[in-house]
Amino acid sequence: MIRAVKVCKTFKTTDRREVKALVNFSTHIKKGEVVVIIGPSGSGKSTFLRCLNRLEEIDSGEIIIDGVRITDKKVDINKIREDIGMVFQLFNLFPHKTVLENVTLAQMIVRKRKKKEAVDTARDLLHKVGILEKENVYPSQLSGGQQQRVAIARALAMHPKIMMFDEATSALDPEMIGEVLDVMKKLAREGMTMVVVTHEMGFAREVSDRVIFMDAGQIVEEGTAEHFFTNPAHERTKVFLSQIL
Amino acid sequence: MKFSRRSLITLVVLGVIAASLYYFFSTRGVTYIWHWEKIPEMLFYHGSKSPEDPTPRLHMGILMIGFMLTLKISIFSIFFAIIIGTIVGIARLSDEPVTRALSISYVELIRNTPLLVQIYIIYFFVGSLLRLSAFTAGTAALSIFAGAYVGEIVRAGIQSIHRGQMEAARSLGMSYAKAMRYVILPQAFKRIIPPLAGQFISLIKDSSLVSVIALADLMFQGQQAVARTYYAFEIYFTVAFLYLVMTASLSMATQYIERRLAISD
Ligand SMILES: Nc1ncnc2c1ncn2[C@@H]1O[C@H](COP(=O)(O)OP(=O)(O)O)[C@@H](O)[C@H]1O
Ligand SMILES: [Mg+2]
Repeated sequence: MIRAVKVCKTFKTTDRREVKALVNFSTHIKKGEVVVIIGPSGSGKSTFLRCLNRLEEIDSGEIIIDGVRITDKKVDINKIREDIGMVFQLFNLFPHKTVLENVTLAQMIVRKRKKKEAVDTARDLLHKVGILEKENVYPSQLSGGQQQRVAIARALAMHPKIMMFDEATSALDPEMIGEVLDVMKKLAREGMTMVVVTHEMGFAREVSDRVIFMDAGQIVEEGTAEHFFTNPAHERTKVFLSQIL
Repeated sequence: MKFSRRSLITLVVLGVIAASLYYFFSTRGVTYIWHWEKIPEMLFYHGSKSPEDPTPRLHMGILMIGFMLTLKISIFSIFFAIIIGTIVGIARLSDEPVTRALSISYVELIRNTPLLVQIYIIYFFVGSLLRLSAFTAGTAALSIFAGAYVGEIVRAGIQSIHRGQMEAARSLGMSYAKAMRYVILPQAFKRIIPPLAGQFISLIKDSSLVSVIALADLMFQGQQAVARTYYAFEIYFTVAFLYLVMTASLSMATQYIERRLAISD
């Protein structure tokens, strides 16, 4: 489903230093697989996700999604993005639109669905994430957990083949983390292909097929969540896990 | 309402000025005979305009005709300034260096030269080449002038929107143009209503400069009326008051719109 081959990405900082965010990063994610990515801050987790839908352009290597080499310049990136849902740490809901409009907007202007169809789809999904009763309020009137569930519904409304989550629960108050993780778990169990950056190891243990530990733009170690709990191989992994567990 | 308080203060101040002038003149033995009674007919009068159309009816007086033209040229110019400003503001943030440079040059050129000179150039040079009417030339000059300022306001507005908004829109498959139109610009415009309103109030006042190309706007008509009657005080007070009616209505309208849009905050 997703194949990354020797992906390199370097950023130029404002003081003109070069930061290597991804260094020969390769991995293969199968259809229906749930992959959790962990790693210290600045290790390149977000950059990897953002390269998958080309919010960032890679310097070298290639990324193939569903048979399409998306890193080719000729590719219609908007078409690719329709099939890859993304959920952000800070939700990024559209504040000038109601909950329902947040979920219907892209359906109508990108997928070209009729209003009625878009609204029906939106209501189904808002029901699924447990927030249908708030369909007519604005995001500012929702709690963080509620906003993030709307953001998930908004991404799902495009009927993506892949869902990416970039620290979707890190900005939430502790009591709201569960409600968002529950939605994500439900999605995982339904067979969605998911790439999830999170430090919620409970989530990793319950639903992930594989955990990737990244540091300095590279994969240090990967395996099942159980592997990470019981016998992580590398010193860096152990140090990191001791900090988050 | 905030508007009425501010406008009320303005009216009171105008009244105080008028009263002190009156006091000044009357105590110094200067007898100025007020002719306020001549003002209403400069706004509206009932009668026949010409021998061909003898049936008497209500007509606009000299000042009201000017008021309507100022209103019309201001509305047209505001409309075009928004369009120009939006294009210029977006172009300013383009990845394309040429587009960006064009936008910057336009803004700098317009902001660093006097509007009066721009009006003359557009009317006498561009206008005569393209055979523009004085109204078209005047509207063009005002739109181009205000468009540069609106462009800067729009640019600042777009930049004030968190970049996560653009990323969320793009990650849903929206093109840059769609993301701008449906996600970024609506939020940016909401945020820039106050500076835009200030800009458009300036535009209404600056429109008085088009009187130099013999456009029969409020200022021009006022000057004509003074030349004919010499009631300079009464007429210019009335002209000022009529400008105030337009600017105050605009600021009232923007406050209404701002309140309406505040529901999503
Ligand atoms: N737009 C950017 N400009 C400059 N440096 C960046 C940019 N985005 C990320 N980086 C740098 O790239 C590295 C990886 O960042 P990121 O992928 O966000 O890490 P993570 O998500 O694992 O915390 C960091 O050193 C970060 O400072
Ligand atoms: Mg990150």
